[in-house]
Amino acid sequence: MLSTIDDATLIKVAEALGEEDAVKLIEILKNADEITDDEIANKTGIRINSIRKILYKLYDHSLVSLRRTRDPKTGWFIFHWKLQPDQLEGFILSQKRRVLEKLNIRLEYEKNHDFYYCYTPGCRRIPFEEAIELLFKCPTCGKPLMHYENNKIVEALTRKIEQLRKELGE
Amino acid sequence: MPKHNDLEQKAFQLIVNSGHEGILQSELWHKLGASSREGSRIAIKLENKGLIRREKELQNGRWTYRLYPKRMPASMDSIADCPCLMCPDNSRCDPSNVISPQTCEKLTQWLLTIAENYSGTLGDS
Repeated sequence: MLSTIDDATLIKVAEALGEEDAVKLIEILKNADEITDDEIANKTGIRINSIRKILYKLYDHSLVSLRRTRDPKTGWFIFHWKLQPDQLEGFILSQKRRVLEKLNIRLEYEKNHDFYYCYTPGCRRIPFEEAIELLFKCPTCGKPLMHYENNKIVEALTRKIEQLRKELGE
Repeated sequence: MPKHNDLEQKAFQLIVNSGHEGILQSELWHKLGASSREGSRIAIKLENKGLIRREKELQNGRWTYRLYPKRMPASMDSIADCPCLMCPDNSRCDPSNVISPQTCEKLTQWLLTIAENYSGTLGDS
């Protein structure tokens, strides 16, 4: 199947993988048919162990394919990597489904609970049931807990869920 | 000479990258290094496969086609900054666990940022 992924999305996926070097690596893979990790290291100047770490991460998500040959001189394995752009769309969709599932769980939780908060950055919001047991005192900083209106979080969740559902065609 | 399938993939990629603006058929063949005959055949093939749409356009006194992708590429924009995407605790994240989407602080911060973008004000007061 011909893939429908533009270059900007490809870069965003690389960024989402959390590695700055992943962007450089994807650029190289995109322009090469098949390439070894050594060749990528020579072209980018990134350390070979970082390259392998990113490649295995991409491989875990089937975004690259791997072919293994043996070096006739040393007997060591040589890994040949190839970008699989046709898998990218599936990767993006499965990530969206996963995020959507988590957001649905969160929305349900936010709607069914009343929250109390000490308004100290770094402290967490406490649901009513737990706040009673704590006598409305923050377990982290000790300040009194006050009611926390979570309608902004609920609204953000609702909008995001709606957006993802539309994108997934649900 | 590149294989026909490779050319087709490259042509399609260029059309997809052109987005809503589309790309002129004549411009595409220049970029691909193919002949116009080869090019128009690929365009027709892609159109028959339902991947692109061709619209007639007058360019410098000559009729040509502008090619648009039928389906916009899958976009990461809606979740690009979501902390769940590459969360190291993903395998342990479950409502029945300590790490849960119900209480995750990283998720809360992300939601508050979204809320801020929607309303222009942060959190609740």
